[in-house]
Amino acid sequence: MTQSPNSLLSSIWPQFSRNGEEHLNPYYTFQDYRQTWGMTIFILMTTALLPLIVMALIYYQLTETSINTEALLRTERLASNTRRAVTFFLEERLAALTFTVNEMGYDRLTRPGVLSEVLRNLKLGFGGLTDLSVMADNGTQVAYAGPFNLEGKDYSDQPWFMECQQHDACVSEIFSGYRDVPHIVVAVKSKRPDGHFFVLRATLETERLIQTLSAFKTGEHADIFLINRDGLLQTPSQFYADPSRHVSLSVPAYSDRTKAVLSSDRSGLPIIVGYAFIDTKIAPTGFILMVVKQKASMMKVWLDLRSDINWFLAISAASIAIVITLTSTVMVNRIFHADREKAKTMALAEQNCQLASIGQLAAGVAHEINNPLALINETAGYVKDLFLIKEQYKEDTELVEHIDTIIEAVERCGTITRQLLGFARRFDIQTQSIDLKEMVTDVINFHKKEAEYRNIAISVDIPETIPLIETDRGKLQQIILNLVNNAFQAINNGCILDIRAEMDGPEQVRLFIRDNGCGISEEHLGKVFEPFFTTKKEGQGTGLGLSITYGLVQKLHGNIAVQSKTGEGTTFVVTLPVQTKKEIQA
Amino acid sequence: MKHYDILIVDDEQRYADMLARRLELRKLRCKACYDGRAAIKMVAREHFRMVILDLRLPDLYGTEVLTQIKTSRPETAVIILTGHGTERDREQCMARGAHSFMNKPLDIDRLVAIMAQIKEMPE
Repeated sequence: MTQSPNSLLSSIWPQFSRNGEEHLNPYYTFQDYRQTWGMTIFILMTTALLPLIVMALIYYQLTETSINTEALLRTERLASNTRRAVTFFLEERLAALTFTVNEMGYDRLTRPGVLSEVLRNLKLGFGGLTDLSVMADNGTQVAYAGPFNLEGKDYSDQPWFMECQQHDACVSEIFSGYRDVPHIVVAVKSKRPDGHFFVLRATLETERLIQTLSAFKTGEHADIFLINRDGLLQTPSQFYADPSRHVSLSVPAYSDRTKAVLSSDRSGLPIIVGYAFIDTKIAPTGFILMVVKQKASMMKVWLDLRSDINWFLAISAASIAIVITLTSTVMVNRIFHADREKAKTMALAEQNCQLASIGQLAAGVAHEINNPLALINETAGYVKDLFLIKEQYKEDTELVEHIDTIIEAVERCGTITRQLLGFARRFDIQTQSIDLKEMVTDVINFHKKEAEYRNIAISVDIPETIPLIETDRGKLQQIILNLVNNAFQAINNGCILDIRAEMDGPEQVRLFIRDNGCGISEEHLGKVFEPFFTTKKEGQGTGLGLSITYGLVQKLHGNIAVQSKTGEGTTFVVTLPVQTKKEIQA
Repeated sequence: MKHYDILIVDDEQRYADMLARRLELRKLRCKACYDGRAAIKMVAREHFRMVILDLRLPDLYGTEVLTQIKTSRPETAVIILTGHGTERDREQCMARGAHSFMNKPLDIDRLVAIMAQIKEMPE
């Protein structure tokens, strides 16, 4: 089936509005087509899109969980590796100091020049040492090697010295001390032969430690630094330092293992924090290693992928929505059209049924009345005959007038009963080939005189292309005659009567009989085909003409319709089949 | 034996009598009968110039009576006068040899005119 663009557009455009056809409303199967349409679209959309969206959400959830787990593991591993490096850095230096005190003892170390020698050797071996000093058990510095002359200073109140007394070794936090340069103090305690203890202390440059940490940095958004247990930064942090040199994140609770947790920074961005409390084998330290990674950078690939999936999902949803909407519109349009056809047929059938039952009643009445009517006619006729024929009554003209009134009334009743019977009866149809133009011309000829007299212009336009019609001559003639009569009664002198015909498809002919007379008001338009309906004065019309015409058109398997506007005129449209189907004749 | 011109056949006795009287006023000799078999017998026995025949009779249908009359007396003209004549009845009657077909209530002048026409025709 080929469709022109116009009909394609009309099939996808919602057409199920029922305005202007209220008389058909009781015959519709569905009451609200807009609601039906909306429900169809909603149900189809839900069925099609819901699983898609749910699947996408589940997929996101699973992927995000697995990516989180993966990111946590990676951060934890990085923290663990960094912790090992920092621990090794500190343990290495503590071990060197332990070796030195045990190897050389208090006496040798305090000998002038020896400590400088040791410092030089250690610098060669490890590097990053600033100075060395030996402290007596009262905290007084007894020997010193290095760039500053700090001999004789009292360190007994220094926290590292106090801690060193408790443990065999200690690692200080990073502080600036007397020299105002950030450094770490590592110290080991040893016993002198006399039972007093002494402490060998080394000052480490923080530069080495910072370098060790930054070697583990991977990616732009990773940050590795040390804090103490109060959250004070020990090494610089790229992103998480606040003005008081404290870390801008919360200090984690103690754990002897490396851990990684999900958290968020001050601006609410998700981050992954890996941390480890640094302890050496010899001495505990106050350092906490922090490894902070921004989650967004770790999940970039996944987020890009998710954006692609979202686009795909949105485009699919839009296409599905369009297809569903179009399909629903087409389907509901079709249902609506079928339903409207059904409603029209039912409305018509009901009208026919009504007319038929009125017809049956009319026929019954006509039959019953006709016999007494005939008797009245004959009796009155006889009385009249007596008056006319017998000499003795001839003088009385008044009585003859009265009898004439009776006979006239009977004649009128007779006309009605004949027409009623004509309306009700279904005759066999005698089909003949009929030239419509010839027939219309014949009918017009009956009215030629009247038309001339009343100055009515009659125009007939029946093209040569109209074929011969196979139908009943008498009935068709009666139809045309009735309609032309009707028009003549409706128009004033000087008006126009226009008769034309056209083909309605290859199998039907449409005959238009149009006048520009008084027209039919809207309230009367629906009743014009009902028997006894007339707008004429009493006694002037029986009101059967159009209902008989209606019945005749039905018998010829045709249709009759009327269009009219008060004051503008009336058009009767008779549609007849070119071939009357014999098998459905009644 | 009295010679009749016309036989009126109608089941409604008063109607048949009334019509007979009207025609008699017009110097026509009429006889009335009220069912089909009687009519057939009468037509066979006596000579009528014409028969006015109703279609609805109590015993036989008018067309049957018509056929019988035309068989026994082809020269007799039959005028059908009925109350409920259809187009089909008219065609059937004309096919069976009826002279004319009229509907009730009757126009007496038309009937008289038709009868005058029949009288003109050679028997």
